[in-house]
Amino acid sequence: MTRSRLALALVCAAFAGGLLFAGATLSQSATEAPPQDAAGRADGGLSVEQLLARTTPPNTPNRDQVERGRQLVIAGDCAACHTKAGGAPFAGSRPIRTPFGVIYSPNITSDHMKHWSADQFYRALHRGLDDDGHHLYPAFPYTYFVHVTRADSDAMLAYLRTTPAVAAKRPANALPFPLNIRGVLVVWNALFFHPKPLQTPAGKSAAWARGQYLVEGPGHCGACHTPKNMLGADETSKAYQGGVLDNWEAPNLTADARTGLGAWSVDDIVEYLKTGRNARAQAGGPMAEVVSASTSMLPDPDLRAIAVYLKDRPAAAPNAGGDPDRAAMARGEAIWQDTCSACHLQSGEGQARFFPPMRGNQGVQQGDPTNVVRVILEGVRTAPTPTRPTPLSMPSYAWKLTDREIADVATYVRNAWGNKAAPVGADKVASLRRKLDLIRPPLSSWSKVDQR
Amino acid sequence: MADAKDDAQKDGAQRRTHTLLDRRKLLAGGALLGSAGAAMAGGAAEVRGTTIRNGQIWRPGEADYPEDATGAKGYRFFTGAEAAFVEPASERMIPSDDLGPGAIEAGVPVFIDRQLAGPFGRGDHFYLGGPWPQGLETQGYQTRYTPADLYRAAIPAIERWVGGQFSGRGFKSLGGADQDKVLTALEGGDAKLKGVSAKAFWGLFIENVIEGFFADPIYGGNRDMVGWKLIGFPGARYDYREWVGRHSERYPLPPVGLKGRPAWDRA
Ligand code: HEC
Ligand code: HEC
Ligand code: HEC
Repeated sequence: MTRSRLALALVCAAFAGGLLFAGATLSQSATEAPPQDAAGRADGGLSVEQLLARTTPPNTPNRDQVERGRQLVIAGDCAACHTKAGGAPFAGSRPIRTPFGVIYSPNITSDHMKHWSADQFYRALHRGLDDDGHHLYPAFPYTYFVHVTRADSDAMLAYLRTTPAVAAKRPANALPFPLNIRGVLVVWNALFFHPKPLQTPAGKSAAWARGQYLVEGPGHCGACHTPKNMLGADETSKAYQGGVLDNWEAPNLTADARTGLGAWSVDDIVEYLKTGRNARAQAGGPMAEVVSASTSMLPDPDLRAIAVYLKDRPAAAPNAGGDPDRAAMARGEAIWQDTCSACHLQSGEGQARFFPPMRGNQGVQQGDPTNVVRVILEGVRTAPTPTRPTPLSMPSYAWKLTDREIADVATYVRNAWGNKAAPVGADKVASLRRKLDLIRPPLSSWSKVDQR
Repeated sequence: MADAKDDAQKDGAQRRTHTLLDRRKLLAGGALLGSAGAAMAGGAAEVRGTTIRNGQIWRPGEADYPEDATGAKGYRFFTGAEAAFVEPASERMIPSDDLGPGAIEAGVPVFIDRQLAGPFGRGDHFYLGGPWPQGLETQGYQTRYTPADLYRAAIPAIERWVGGQFSGRGFKSLGGADQDKVLTALEGGDAKLKGVSAKAFWGLFIENVIEGFFADPIYGGNRDMVGWKLIGFPGARYDYREWVGRHSERYPLPPVGLKGRPAWDRA
């Protein structure tokens, strides 16, 4: 093979692999979410949350290590991807949808992990290789887990080996050629996987360093919150400026005051991650899963560390705002008054921790309006957590509002009360409605039909 | 429909309470015995508290929404002969006048028609089994007929009675004053109908006419929210926290139905 042909092959393979990565890591759709119901699983066994909340019994041989491993597995949100809806915790087989096909997560209960050595496990986290040395798809976020220390890797494995054994085999992946060939990943890694050890700049606190470790390592927050390049790898120069995943948008977490966490205090961030709500926002969609199965169970000092680190991201606002049409705003206001103000109030102030405020809400002012449109179309539910076990939900409006009406009210929410963001078009709503399979004739369209 | 339905439900609820009470007594007794037993066994019983999370089932995109009754033309339940009574009779109760449109223009007969064609008409939510003693007036809907059957049986009986009183004419062809006489006779029970109780029918009919004038327009009546505009009701809104403290002010928002209002589409 000539040099140039090799280069071409590399790029083609990388392109395919990269897109796969983008879709895969980020596709955690709500409908395929693992059960978050402590009332139990279909088979009456422990739910993920119940299992993770169990402290290690005192007489366990390497108790301290196992206990630390439990906390790290919580921090890594391993349960979310490795548990299918209604299935046993960590038994895998959760379909992770990509634009090209489905990857099923493997079983990582003790039944499977007892065969793994500590070296093999460390190699999986650091190099993305399975026990046989085959490449793992980056749907498994080893690009972040590479920062996990050896001691922590050993602790994670020690914990996983205590989990209830389930002999489960995942279904075969449904990936087309050539993506079904793991060798493709050699190329992807060569192009995008150049991990650098984490550095703590002089003058940063111990909490900052701990936060950096949790966010950049096990927590893999950037896997969703950092935008991807065309090949699906993190755009590191735009870290935490907001990423798109499976018809959701993971918002800007930089210090920008309007679209990021600039206006949030450390306490606000801690409260959001611990309880799923604060006076500014409530966690829904994929973030609800992160909160339920991971951050709500982390110790307070770790949450504080994450918040301290996040508050120190330089401000960046990729969203330039826009000039909404006055007629659209007028229609949007009418729809808001009639349909939304009952919960979020006319003034957009909401009811702290029950109905999020829209005034000054950074989530609704993202450059990408996907989340606003999505929650109006299909509704949204706040993550249930140990501190706030009763989930609140917003109803779906796909049955009631037309695409144009949803676009108008979304435009209004993004530009009323001092908010500022690009207007939303009916075509955006129509395309999301199609992707979410919520096609039905909205009731309000009848008002245009002569009734006799 | 509210009264009749409520009464039937209350009735059922009462009956249920009796059996429940018995069972509850039994359970309470059992619990007492149980805890006494545990106490005697030396406090071996462990009491655990569990937090139940995520109790409500919620799925994205799911909604339980009403069927739109306004789209289709014509009647689904009423025959032409039945409509010839229901239309003028309801219009007589709520006539078009300088206050605004009357029952026909507001779609009241359409509303009643759609209700009778569905679960309400079938009496899905009524207890309709025996026994059949004469009910008291305070007991609401007291007949073995489903609402649909009651309309079906009562209208021809009324027309026969009207024919007897007005030399063979039908209700529709009577003048307003005579129509009022008929309605008054139905209301007071003076009209003796064959096989059905005039009062039972009247109670249901007047209820349904009022509902048709004030129910959400999605059910076929209250067209263009005429009923709500007449009385200043703001419609399908359900939270007024922001107005609770604002006294002696006019509530500024116009009525809105489940399907919206014109301002959603203007401009
Ligand atoms: C975003 C989803 C996701 C998260 C989070 C995740 N995994 Fe996975 N993991 C996967 C997928 C998908 C695979 C399979 C990849 C493949 O088949 O190439 C995998 C593979 C693995 C494997 C290889 C198993 C085998 O038999 O080949 C191990 C071990 C593993 N994960 C452990 C973990 C641990 C420990 C955590 C938490 C620290 C974790 N995973 C978090 C998605 C995830
Ligand atoms: C699986 C993808 C995913 C991962 C992993 C993830 N997030 Fe999120 N995050 C989201 C989405 C989507 C939202 C928007 C949720 C909403 O609007 O209800 C969000 C919202 C947030 C918000 C609220 C922002 C706002 O403007 O309202 C914070 C804070 C946050 N995430 C922090 C984190 C942290 C810290 C981590 C790592 C521990 C993390 N996220 C990991 C997807 C993710
Ligand atoms: C029954 C009460 C209720 C009604 C009515 C309602 N919402 Fe919500 N809304 C909620 C709740 C609860 C949440 C928080 C769910 C979450 O994101 O976790 C929410 C969240 C949102 C969010 C996401 C905010 C964030 O911080 O991520 C937007 C945007 C939104 N609503 C807009 C609307 C619009 C527009 C309407 C009218 C078409 C509306 N809501 C009607 C209860 C309601």
